Amino acid sequence: MTIFSYTERAGPRTEEAAGLSVPWSRPSPKRRGVSARMISAATILLVLAAWALSARLQLVSPVFLPSPVAVWNKFIVVVSDGFVDATLLQHTVASLGRVFAALVAAILVGVPVGLAIGISTIGRGIFDPLLEFLRPIPPLAYLPLVIIWFGIGEPSKILVIAIAMLAPVALSTASGVRGVSQERINAARSLGATKRQVVRHVILPSALPSILTGLRIALGAGWSTLVAAELVAATRGLGFMIQSAAQFLVTDVVIMGILVIAAIAFVLEFTIRRIERALVPWAGRE
Amino acid sequence: MPHLVLDKISIHYDGYPAVERVSIDVAGDDFVVLVGRSGCGKTSLLNVAAGLVTPARGSATIDGRPITEPGSDRAVVFQNDALFPWLTARENVAFALRLRGVRPAERARRADELLALVKLGDAGDKRIWELSGGMRQRVGLARALAAEPQFLLLDEPLGALDALTRERMQTTLLDLWKASHAGVLMVTHGIEEALVLATRIVVLAPGPGRVVRTFEPGFSRRYAAGETIRAVKADPAFAKARGELTDAIFEGETA
Repeated sequence: MTIFSYTERAGPRTEEAAGLSVPWSRPSPKRRGVSARMISAATILLVLAAWALSARLQLVSPVFLPSPVAVWNKFIVVVSDGFVDATLLQHTVASLGRVFAALVAAILVGVPVGLAIGISTIGRGIFDPLLEFLRPIPPLAYLPLVIIWFGIGEPSKILVIAIAMLAPVALSTASGVRGVSQERINAARSLGATKRQVVRHVILPSALPSILTGLRIALGAGWSTLVAAELVAATRGLGFMIQSAAQFLVTDVVIMGILVIAAIAFVLEFTIRRIERALVPWAGRE
Repeated sequence: MPHLVLDKISIHYDGYPAVERVSIDVAGDDFVVLVGRSGCGKTSLLNVAAGLVTPARGSATIDGRPITEPGSDRAVVFQNDALFPWLTARENVAFALRLRGVRPAERARRADELLALVKLGDAGDKRIWELSGGMRQRVGLARALAAEPQFLLLDEPLGALDALTRERMQTTLLDLWKASHAGVLMVTHGIEEALVLATRIVVLAPGPGRVVRTFEPGFSRRYAAGETIRAVKADPAFAKARGELTDAIFEGETA
């Protein structure tokens, strides 16, 4: 009875606090107010509505701001008929192919480099300054040099993306390696592990959560380098599609391309988080 | 019988002496426990035996061979279990066997035997984070035993456990000591624990670390002969030994 009357009195108070995210508004498991997710949905709807409305009222010329419906229709057209000699799927596959080829290259180079930085002083001495030099350079800055050295073929495009991915992979690996508990290493050594076995059986798995985080960041960085990589002599790809569209002022394709790039980035992020959870279920539970 | 000998060991950290001329001798059937106040260098000495710390002076040997690096003849169990979370309990125990290239079926069989020995027979498939602190420490002990060490080096293995679990683990440790035929060198803060487990207790004092007294309590032999730990602890002789040991540990302390 006491409990019952307590909840009755507490009810209206939680409602009062529901809209506030201040420390004293206790997050109740089943709040009758709004959740952050609902607010996000409302925000997106509001932006869409504002876009539709300004297009409808022709506040901006349709050449610069086509309506959401026009963009959607264009999406259907490009999916079925294509744009600049390729369907949307073909553009997407070309772009994803480049990004994943770059990812493989970045893993093959970045993980060993990260291990070397984390494990040995010599490795750190060699690779740390190189990476720190490479990391802050925007892809558009080294793109011309890559073209001068490697031409305008497919390898150059992959290389531009891979360079953007290298630092996140290597630095995350290195920080994962440095974070390995000394006790774990000592335990393995006292069980008879050689140095090589310690690296393979203790350091690499210990650093795996960090490596995967690096891959996620790298994938984001690589994907956002895509347009730059497809600036030169590409005939397919989402970045290429947007640029060609922009040259002819086909704004609906430009906007559609941007939205597709964003959607794919979202799916990639979501997928790799799933992979992380499956591969390193112990992360955060030690 | 194998012999682990620390002879006149001095350990310096940054030139500052942490341990000064300490000698400890562990035979293959000994259970030697190091006790002492913080800063007396107990763990440092254990790490010398493990090959993880190089002494400034003195020699550490097993059967006359100098100890220069860690090896599976001296398996270490740490206070924080240091288990591998990406492996199951069984795979953790089998780790030393995997390093030696033992076949999977054989090492699983051996690991299950050891898990049964530490009373975790049905936890082989469990992930490390699903185990309680006491269970983890049992896995850690089984993992060390899988290496078939001549000596077990235990660095406060029960330090992170609650009082009741500790008491149960003490009998487990004695059972393992008997079953494994390995000599034990253990560091602890627990006075009763030292008395229950040790065949010999070495009391160290800090500033720099040195041996102040040695006890040979013999209560663990009584457990081995069939008495229960509770009966041993209820013996007035135990209370007396407890008082003496406490006095020895806090001897010369001004606080």
